[in-house]
Amino acid sequence: MSQALATAGRLQRNWPLLQIFALVALFVFGMATIEGFTQGYSIRSMLILASLLALAALGQTLCFLIGSLDLSIPGMIVLGATLISELCGVHGWSLLPALAVIVAVTTAMGAFTGWVCDRFEVPSIVVSLGVGTIALGAGTVWTGARLVGSPPELIREISSGTSTTFGIGLPPIIFIWLAIAIAMAVFLHRTPAGRRLYATGANPRAAKLALIRTRRVWVGVFAFSALMSGIVGVLLAGFAGADPGIGNPYLFQGLTAVIVGGTAWAGSRGDYSHTVLGALILTVLTTILVGRGYDTADQHIVFGFLILIVVAAYGRDRRLRDRV
Amino acid sequence: MRPSWTRRVREQPWLFAGALSLALLIVNIVADPNFAAPDNWPQHLATLAPLALVAVATTPAAVSGNGGLDLSVGPLAVMCNVLLVHELIPNGFDSFWTSAPLLIAIGAAVGALNGFLTTVLRYVPVIATLCVAFVIMGVNEKVGAQSISAPDNWTSSLAESIGPVPGAAILLALPILLWLALRATAYHGNLYATGGNDVTAFSSGVNVTATRIVAFTLGGIFAAVAGIALTALVQSSQASQTTFYILVGLTALALGGTSLGGGRGGLTGAYVGAAVLFLIQTLVTTLGVRPEWINVVYGVMLVLGVVVGARAGAFSLSAILPRKATSTA
Repeated sequence: MSQALATAGRLQRNWPLLQIFALVALFVFGMATIEGFTQGYSIRSMLILASLLALAALGQTLCFLIGSLDLSIPGMIVLGATLISELCGVHGWSLLPALAVIVAVTTAMGAFTGWVCDRFEVPSIVVSLGVGTIALGAGTVWTGARLVGSPPELIREISSGTSTTFGIGLPPIIFIWLAIAIAMAVFLHRTPAGRRLYATGANPRAAKLALIRTRRVWVGVFAFSALMSGIVGVLLAGFAGADPGIGNPYLFQGLTAVIVGGTAWAGSRGDYSHTVLGALILTVLTTILVGRGYDTADQHIVFGFLILIVVAAYGRDRRLRDRV
Repeated sequence: MRPSWTRRVREQPWLFAGALSLALLIVNIVADPNFAAPDNWPQHLATLAPLALVAVATTPAAVSGNGGLDLSVGPLAVMCNVLLVHELIPNGFDSFWTSAPLLIAIGAAVGALNGFLTTVLRYVPVIATLCVAFVIMGVNEKVGAQSISAPDNWTSSLAESIGPVPGAAILLALPILLWLALRATAYHGNLYATGGNDVTAFSSGVNVTATRIVAFTLGGIFAAVAGIALTALVQSSQASQTTFYILVGLTALALGGTSLGGGRGGLTGAYVGAAVLFLIQTLVTTLGVRPEWINVVYGVMLVLGVVVGARAGAFSLSAILPRKATSTA
């Protein structure tokens, strides 16, 4: 019995077995209790929601791996959504220059976060909250708190439930998500840069002694996280319309997706495929909750408890008496 | 030889925020000569109180060490406000003697839960308190979905004056009195010993677990007082302010130079840090700057505060990473 448990533990360490089991169980539960759960449009909208969530949680996954937290995600999402809506919808820019501006602004702000954290050795949670608040404020200052524009049609089609990709009946966002997930797996496990990222998270001091330039890792991770958030903001502007409140749910759910997926904080365990599973689990769970009449407030409560339960299984501190 | 100013700031990290708040006070008075008029003091203190008390609420956990960053106090203060306005006052708990102890008990219970999660269950404090913050946000949204104004109640006198004393001054003084009272007990020493080096404290017989749980509980109690101060100020429920108060707590903590390494600092940093935020807020209003700017200003203050705090050696990264990653010493 104990041997079987040990084997299961070893397997769980390398493969997200529990997560896959939870996803299947939730899906079967939804299928059995909610009418229309497995119909085409329902599956499609679940996939769209999961892809938006998983893309928003991509940067946070990398931040987790290097032992940091990015609280600037909502600010960057709102900034991205605001810029695309205003530049294209009000100022009449075409899509590409507007995207270039968004990429430049978010990347620069994210890089600044990473640089400050590493240069001054300060907690990322504080710096990213500050930079995120600046991004959020900058968006409202620029529009004078009156957001009227809307993004171009092309952006709306990427995440629209009725669009198709090269004749396949799923919107492009799902294929973009799939491509990014595969690229992320290759990057994290098969490239020197990915190795450096894990090494920095496992032990920053040892990484420095191994001649890893940890500042570059920090700057890169935060720049990438802010960039992804900005892009998710653009997609969300097309999916749901820009609004100063669209960012917050993606911080909370994104964090939950990362943790439920099984990526440990500063533990250098886990990768983006875990987060993808976490996002799928959360989306199915949210769909079930909504189907049973629970609102977003209930979801916050459920997610809070969910993280506590999952973190109980791993990622806890050592006993004090073992450290003496 | 007199110590250089950098050394002084290192030893008393709140001196930077102190100097900044003094400068801001002068600018405020220049911008609006009526600012310092005695008649305005109760109102100023009432505006300052929720900010300062939320900041103070984060302090005991920070002093207890182990990266004891408590993210839940801001939402907890707002929860106390929402519960008071939506549940307690309409349901007959409208006198001071029934509702205040109940709110304090709720605050203490949530704080103790945080302490339990981070010590007995050994969660990383940031993650544990973030989860508690999620749950509290859900409660706030549920109970306070619609912002309503409070009927006449005892908190309104706290925003004005009780006799010659501004009501908010009493609320602001509560944590200081409690802190001074604790100074007379062994707890104060145990708390700083635990924060300084928990392994050494444990080996010397300090009950580290109990000490930390009490620290988080104190934070919860202060957060409940902050909720009362918030209600006194706005006389309505403010569920939408939940995330703003997370920002306030962290910013004031960072500006005040409270050490996350534990075992150092006191309540001063939190008060001074909050004073800076309050003075910026009033200055922005006096100068007629559009309110949208306030987020930008707060964000800049947060980044600036944490960097300056780091220069003073107060807010170091190694303090909040799990020990596993930093145990090289």
